Amino acid sequence: MYKKIKRYRGIYLMLVPVVLYFLIFSYYPLLLGVVNSLQKVKLLGGSTFVGLKNYQEVFNSAVYQRALRNTLVVGTGTFLLQFVWGLMIALLLNEVKNKLARSFIQTVTYIPYLLSWAVVGGIWITIFSPTGMINGILKLFADGPSQPVVFLSEPSYARAIMIFTGAWKGAGYFAALFLAAIVSLDESFYESAQIDGATRWQQIVRITLPQIVPTMKVVTVLSAMSLLRNFDQIFVMGNASINDRVQNLLVRIYNDGILEFNVGTATAAATMVLMITMVISFGVRKLLRYDEAYD
Amino acid sequence: MKRRKCLSVLAAAVLSVGMLAGCGGNGAAENSAADGGTADSAATAEGSQAVTENAAGEEAGGTVKMLVGVTGGKDDEEMRLFVDEMEKATGLQIEIEKPASDYDQVMMQKLSGGEVYDLIYVSAGQYMNLAEQEALTDITDDVHASDILTNNIDQQEWDDITIDGKIYAGFNKKEVHRVVALNNTLLKKAGIDYKTIEPTMDGYYEVFQKMRQVSDTEDFYPFDVVLSEAWDLQPWMAAAGLKTGVLLNEDGKKYVPISTDEAAPVWEWFKKLYDDGLMDPSSFVDKTSDMREKMGASTQKTGCSVDWAAWVGLHNANAESAGLTAEDYEVVSLPGLQTPDGKYMLGKGGASLFAVPANAQNVEGAIRVLEYFATQEGGELLSVGIEGYDYVVEDGVYTHTEIGAAHGNDHGAPVPIYKDFVAPMGYNTGMEEALGYGEYASIEMTIPNEADYKEIVGKWAIKMVKGETSIEDGLAGMRQELLERGVTEV
Repeated sequence: MYKKIKRYRGIYLMLVPVVLYFLIFSYYPLLLGVVNSLQKVKLLGGSTFVGLKNYQEVFNSAVYQRALRNTLVVGTGTFLLQFVWGLMIALLLNEVKNKLARSFIQTVTYIPYLLSWAVVGGIWITIFSPTGMINGILKLFADGPSQPVVFLSEPSYARAIMIFTGAWKGAGYFAALFLAAIVSLDESFYESAQIDGATRWQQIVRITLPQIVPTMKVVTVLSAMSLLRNFDQIFVMGNASINDRVQNLLVRIYNDGILEFNVGTATAAATMVLMITMVISFGVRKLLRYDEAYD
Repeated sequence: MKRRKCLSVLAAAVLSVGMLAGCGGNGAAENSAADGGTADSAATAEGSQAVTENAAGEEAGGTVKMLVGVTGGKDDEEMRLFVDEMEKATGLQIEIEKPASDYDQVMMQKLSGGEVYDLIYVSAGQYMNLAEQEALTDITDDVHASDILTNNIDQQEWDDITIDGKIYAGFNKKEVHRVVALNNTLLKKAGIDYKTIEPTMDGYYEVFQKMRQVSDTEDFYPFDVVLSEAWDLQPWMAAAGLKTGVLLNEDGKKYVPISTDEAAPVWEWFKKLYDDGLMDPSSFVDKTSDMREKMGASTQKTGCSVDWAAWVGLHNANAESAGLTAEDYEVVSLPGLQTPDGKYMLGKGGASLFAVPANAQNVEGAIRVLEYFATQEGGELLSVGIEGYDYVVEDGVYTHTEIGAAHGNDHGAPVPIYKDFVAPMGYNTGMEEALGYGEYASIEMTIPNEADYKEIVGKWAIKMVKGETSIEDGLAGMRQELLERGVTEV
């Protein structure tokens, strides 16, 4: 080992800036966060060590428990719908033979991913508003004058709306990843299948989908790592009447840490988010045998 | 081989330097941003210069470094002029940082990062939290020793920000109150003289019905309220004689009056307004900006809302600048519903303050700035702006420049804290009348978990108004959740 390091010391030396970068800008703040989570933090001046009290507070808080539930439900729902939606777009786009039409559709489906939630959230808030498009359509079919539905104040629709809009925004991104995998598949598989008389549907099911499983695994693992990281959507589209159903961990941490200066509790919750993310990521990797595929 | 090693070492060195240069690059970026960036960056660049000069200027009062949210110029150029004016008036070197957005977050990061400021802009809630964390300097003695601060500011203002006998901040502006704003053009069309509106729930119900009948606007609702944020229910809750926010009961325990059964008749009234199509259903999701847009001349989608006294004037000023006359659009104000004993109750804004952080280097200078803000001269800078830029004076008469007119007499304080302040160009139409209801206004108790209060009250309010729960059960649910989340104690 030592000999190897000595032999390649020049190359190891080249790693030093990168390692330093991560130590200073990633691991040091992370360590500070963990230290803060064990303290009653004062913004200025000394903080007091309180052990695991902050963690205990987060564990026992009904609000945090609810936020965790919301995070997992909305996050998982969004991922599943986005996955299926993205895959469908990619498969359908692959069937479009006109190059211009294909790039136009791909651009249109990809654009929402590039926009911030401030923009996308604003668009959907307008669409779902009492004077918005959906109520306009409902009005056309209504018998007489009726109260419009305030969709974004209905707890029963809240999660479905967040999942749908989240998936709508990200489907184009997944589609781009899937399509990249599909177009790089070996054409000879399809030619052989055609000779054997396989229909287009059979080709998709038997050739395309199995061949892009590695890409699906990458997409799944990446999504698992960001499952708990949705802040903007809920911050923009949430409101008092639906917060019970959609308010997630990051929004709660923001409220605690930034608005109410409970830095200790907020960092304890943030550390727990990190740990849960690690557990989920490792669990998903194990489940998908991700590491085996890349060994 | 040797050559390869040398090259590797050289490459590593280049990468390291590159990385460090990257870190240092921020400063360069800031400087370049100052040319065409935000007011923030410009002020920082200005400030850096002040710091450089400070070695010589220390004796003249030193540098006062400020972190501001709303105060100052609207762009780089005006911010420089604003700083110049302050420096001339105080004899201090002034350095102002104004984050372009996310002020709360930036302030927290800067303070926790140990950055040193002499004055930071804070809301009443933040003030309380920071004082509790011992993050502020006690300036009680300085305030008492200052003739300007004691004589030019109402004692009540100081009382409102005194925590356990101590004061940690001075004022950015005078917080005014919120009033009931009404579209007078519609009222006139309906044949109603707003001064004769009966200040009862039935009286206003009748007015709303008449407004709806005469409005031609599509999707018009006569009454709008931002229920999701529990914004501002005070003029209506007055009908039950109840104060909004958190109060202490006779045992000194926190409770929320509008969650008690005494508030039920007002909640019933809100429900009736919604059921009868008089309340905008968007009240469940709208923010205050949406409400203002609906009240404004360009849309006129609502006829009545509760807003700051200054907004009554702003609605009229915006309409005037768009060439509309009072015949086309006019907003007037009233103090809302009468209490059972014939008075009115309005909500006043929690203080908007400049606090002195615990690590401030120039407390004396900070006090001088606070004194300046509490004078006629300082008040003019904070409201109408900079002479020669926002306004010109000819024969003692102030006239807006084009830029000044667009800035709407607001450079941080539309109503300055100086108690005898004379607005040099008067107030916008309707604002004076709205300010006249100030005698009925009082502030809500500042609590650290205000966000939770708003969320819980808003949630249950919407459930009750929509009829998802009975008023009785809704109020019980509200009380229960307020207690569980530590907003109340009984």
